[in-house]
Amino acid sequence: MASSAAVSTAPPALSLPPSQFARLQPHAYLLAHLSPPASSQQPSIRANGRAPSQFRVTSTNTGSLTHTNGSSVVRLGDTTAVCGIKAEILHTEDIASWSVSHSSSSSTPNKRRKLTNPTEKPGEDRQDGSDEVEDDDSYIEDFSLLVPNLSLSTGCAPGFIPGAPPSALAQSLSHRVLSLLHSSRLVRSEDLEIWYQRPNLGPEELERHNEDEQMDVDVEQDGSGSVGETREIKAFWVLYIDIMIISLAGNPFDAAWTAVLAALRDTKLPRAWWHADNETVICSDLVSEARRLSLRGLPVASSFRVFEADAASGWRAVIVPDAEEERKIAESDRKGIQRRWVLADPDGYEEGLAQERVCLVIDKDQRQNGKVVIVKMEKNGGFAVDRKELKELVAVSAQRWEEINKILGQC
Amino acid sequence: MGGPTASLHPLSRADGSASYRCPATGSNVLGSVNAPIELPGRRDALKPEDATIEVFVKPGTAPGGVGERHIEGILRDALSRIILGREKGYPRRGVVITLAIVGGDSIGRGASYLPILPALLHTSILALLSASVPLSMSISATILAVDSSGKIIREPSSADAAATASLHVLAFTSKGHLLLNESEGAFNFDTWERVYERALTICHGTSALGSDGDVAMTETVDSQPLEGLVRDTVEDRIHVEYAWKIDAA
Repeated sequence: MASSAAVSTAPPALSLPPSQFARLQPHAYLLAHLSPPASSQQPSIRANGRAPSQFRVTSTNTGSLTHTNGSSVVRLGDTTAVCGIKAEILHTEDIASWSVSHSSSSSTPNKRRKLTNPTEKPGEDRQDGSDEVEDDDSYIEDFSLLVPNLSLSTGCAPGFIPGAPPSALAQSLSHRVLSLLHSSRLVRSEDLEIWYQRPNLGPEELERHNEDEQMDVDVEQDGSGSVGETREIKAFWVLYIDIMIISLAGNPFDAAWTAVLAALRDTKLPRAWWHADNETVICSDLVSEARRLSLRGLPVASSFRVFEADAASGWRAVIVPDAEEERKIAESDRKGIQRRWVLADPDGYEEGLAQERVCLVIDKDQRQNGKVVIVKMEKNGGFAVDRKELKELVAVSAQRWEEINKILGQC
Repeated sequence: MGGPTASLHPLSRADGSASYRCPATGSNVLGSVNAPIELPGRRDALKPEDATIEVFVKPGTAPGGVGERHIEGILRDALSRIILGREKGYPRRGVVITLAIVGGDSIGRGASYLPILPALLHTSILALLSASVPLSMSISATILAVDSSGKIIREPSSADAAATASLHVLAFTSKGHLLLNESEGAFNFDTWERVYERALTICHGTSALGSDGDVAMTETVDSQPLEGLVRDTVEDRIHVEYAWKIDAA
């Protein structure tokens, strides 16, 4: 014991272990990893051992929660999201505006608008050659048929106290999930409609009644005859999409959105129909009759952060190079020192150091040889990412789409 | 249809305020800035060398919801990059930006906040200028819609915005950097590049920068560049406030 103490007196213990250096000088620590001295022959690598455009290992598991219609667990490195989807029935008579705007025959104006003016639909739809009549998705938005909620108050990270009201981040993420569900038109409203097919009362049967009753029937038949069918929507399925981030180590949106995608792909709705005598919706309890949702495409989210070598870049009074000069500097960048790195799928440590963020949601159109369609492109909080960089990021996200497609296909 | 109009300092109690209205999109926003002020709930452990920036968005007819939290986050991220929170008197204090949506269509649950985002950005930058908060640059923003035939519509009305294939909000700094981009709806990268070119023209005119570093404002098909609107509004205000001096000279 005494001898070992004597030996260790020679170098004073001023060298810090890497974990302490990371806490004391986070910016310098990450920078030292990304730009190692040229003499050391080490590759530029992030502090977590990944290459700048490398995503964390992603794994999914679906159908774990038995009391939901569809569920998934997604792990993105140490960030874990659990998503459960519960379907509930919303009767049209409980919708205040239903009788005014969408009674049995009035769903036709919507359809008619669609048919006469198909060019007004977003591009995605015109490629749907298979469905003859375009489904009107305004129901989903008008009646809030998709209700996502994201919870961070699970003790997922030290900053989030369990039981606290939803933080601004959680609310913002809920909104992003909802607006992406709406703008990507992922769920078809025809999957959520519960119809009632009126039994066809044969006219010869009615002719036996007396004169004035027949008149009534005729009027009624004229009204519905113009629609062509005697079908009407009696109820909707409402999907409650609850996402719990049970462990947060950066990039909650990608994890949450992947969990929503996996859960929606797993969701099965029971066969439901309107029972006219009971005036209620009946669901079949046969698993074989339940059907999955037919989703439109597979929009995959990928997030990035930009790490700047200059620690003061965020608060310098004169942001020197303007956009034109910036491009010239970028040209000479490749020879000399790199000043900024775009980090894919940032972890919690990197998120604290990089202000500028980019989020891309990309889909590939299977009918057009996997043509890349951008569904959402967000960039905020900095000047580093411009046109050229965004174009590169779209390519990175397209690769990520392949990965996620494979991972989701396996489960 | 006229272009957007703005006025500085409509409110007398706030440190700085601005109102902005854009007839094309129908948005009308009133904003106030209080800075630097002491924030009661501020924890010093959180970035003691910097100012805390808080943004509050109040919709016109409804109580605020998750959509407002989201847009507040976007505005905070964008503005915190140009507000110099480390200048004298600002560290450990707060810059509080309050934006009230006075007119225009109300935004429903889960609906897109993009149509009103340029107006919110313009109002906050003008209010910050009116409160003399140190800024590294000013910004200008615009919204463009692309319909399914690929035609770009500038500042669509809410009815137009609902019918288009994609919506894009782009904000440029006065030095031509792309500070913020929010795009939604199906589109491809070539479309976005056309949108980018058009938005840059709308915000900065055709020639962005002269050789001497002065911003050359040129009239284009898109009428006055938006960057010029911010400058003109501030210049007009200075003319009014220094009228006594200008007259005496």
